[in-house]
Amino acid sequence: MLTQPKAKNARTKRFLTNRDPKVNENVKTAIFVRGSTTSKVIQDTLKDLFALRKPEAVNFTKKNEIHPFDDETGIEFFARKNDSSLFAVGMHSKKRPHNLILGRTFNYQILDMIELGIEGCTTMEDLKTKACSVGTKPLMVFNGEGFNQNEDLIRLKSILLDFFRGEAADKVSLKGLEYVITVTAGPLGPNGEPGLVFFRPYTTVFKKSGMRQPRVELEEMGPSLDLRIRRVRYPSDDMMKMATKVPKELKQTKVKNISRDGMGDKYGRVHLGKQDINKIQTRKVKALKKKLDDKQPASKKQRTMDVDSD
Amino acid sequence: MDVSGILESQKSKFKSIQVNRLIPVEFDLGLLASFDINMTDEAKFRSDKATREAYLKELSREGAQLMINELFSLPTTVDDDSYYASLPKPITVLPREKPIPKEKPMTRWEKFAKFKGIQKRKSSGKVFDETSGEWRRKYGFKGVNNDDQKPWLIEVPGNANQYEDQYKVRREEKKERIEKNNRRSQRNYEERVAAEKGMKPHEMRKRELQKALVLSKQSTASLGKFDAKLKGEPKIKGIKRKFEPLVGSVDKEKTKNMAILNKVNKGDSKATVLNVRKAQRALNNAKRAAKK
Repeated sequence: MLTQPKAKNARTKRFLTNRDPKVNENVKTAIFVRGSTTSKVIQDTLKDLFALRKPEAVNFTKKNEIHPFDDETGIEFFARKNDSSLFAVGMHSKKRPHNLILGRTFNYQILDMIELGIEGCTTMEDLKTKACSVGTKPLMVFNGEGFNQNEDLIRLKSILLDFFRGEAADKVSLKGLEYVITVTAGPLGPNGEPGLVFFRPYTTVFKKSGMRQPRVELEEMGPSLDLRIRRVRYPSDDMMKMATKVPKELKQTKVKNISRDGMGDKYGRVHLGKQDINKIQTRKVKALKKKLDDKQPASKKQRTMDVDSD
Repeated sequence: MDVSGILESQKSKFKSIQVNRLIPVEFDLGLLASFDINMTDEAKFRSDKATREAYLKELSREGAQLMINELFSLPTTVDDDSYYASLPKPITVLPREKPIPKEKPMTRWEKFAKFKGIQKRKSSGKVFDETSGEWRRKYGFKGVNNDDQKPWLIEVPGNANQYEDQYKVRREEKKERIEKNNRRSQRNYEERVAAEKGMKPHEMRKRELQKALVLSKQSTASLGKFDAKLKGEPKIKGIKRKFEPLVGSVDKEKTKNMAILNKVNKGDSKATVLNVRKAQRALNNAKRAAKK
């Protein structure tokens, strides 16, 4: 006999229903995992990225024998355990020094990931500047033509956008725009391979400009990373199709007869009833007027009849 | 009166918020993101670190300025003394975390209610208890349908055995009602699972039963060898031992044996033949014991 899975108490039930698939999803949680061997650079980077990603993040402080590109099971297990869909794994080896893997999962299975070598790193601690407050949404600025041309860079852009997107919001406090993450793609290699990618978070300072929009000044916050793309895992087509499907409830209902053009101008088509030509008010011309003669005899007749009855 | 001169002089006091870009920058304000595909200065990237950093900062500042300009021109609302810009919907498609929730199939009651047009009505969870003059829950903790809340005097029905314990009858009846509800809920669950698997409920029940049978057979000491056979019992499919043929290809045998030999010689990290550390420890322990 099949046994129904049942929560033992209300708290567990709430916990479990929170994990169920939803139309409006929870904020993606990120896990930060250390591989079996790590370097100082990797440890600091993971620590700082965790600080940026807080509070929807889990930091793993112990080592894990984990190699997402060779064996997916480990990271998928962690994703299920922590109900997370973003991961950052840091490791260090002779073959791949200062290795950072960023990726995401869909339905607790690896969707895509990208392996980055850290070739330069300035941490928050090195800079000792003012950091942004916890849990604020960053502005994301992507510079460089590579982000439109190279497949690997396009993938990196998508992963980074997802990583630092935070909560979906329909409005944002203008005071709360505290920091900017800029990702700049360096010049491409001779065969079109991606060059160094510069990841730079800055805090913003708003100055008066004499206008509605303020003048922005930036201060480096860290972690500033110079990244080199190594291995990339692309998502399978059917998995990506499943993952990008929009629920029925969120789809905009089609409004009939209203369209917009490329400039954002709105066009509406209005249906009028059939025109009745006989009732149209036209210019009053004597010739078109109904003849009074037709009516007059009838009224005259009536009068005469009236007279008769008297 | 011409004030443009005054305005200009006022403006020149501050640094400009203007940023020039050859190709207009694309924005996805729903995600607070901007994509600038203008050419970057390659020479700056190749020069020393300080110039590169300065260039990166300048690029970033301009990018941020463009986005701030865009965000501050969005329609705003005031809430708790701070301004909120209302954002448009995101353009960039990012993958979901989990698949779209499936619709649960209707239970038997829901189907019936829909057919009959019965609608769920909201009713209060409490009723007025006249004996105590209080509002009590309909059921549950301190509910009116609890046994201690029910009348202590029960009339013995005319057709009943007069020596029967009527309190016991009442308890039994309640138990049965609960049992019945559980059976219904189980049936609904099984039908739901069967529908998800695309099977008929009775087919699935049969398969589950056969699975349970196989498991129960395996749990006897003889692995079910001497158990009485049931009527229509399924044949248990197990793993068959396969042996290599006595006469076969020499190469295959050679590679197989060489693999074993290599493993012994080289010592795989996980399957070393001799664990040196462990052996050392055992030796030391033996020595210590001998000294004592």
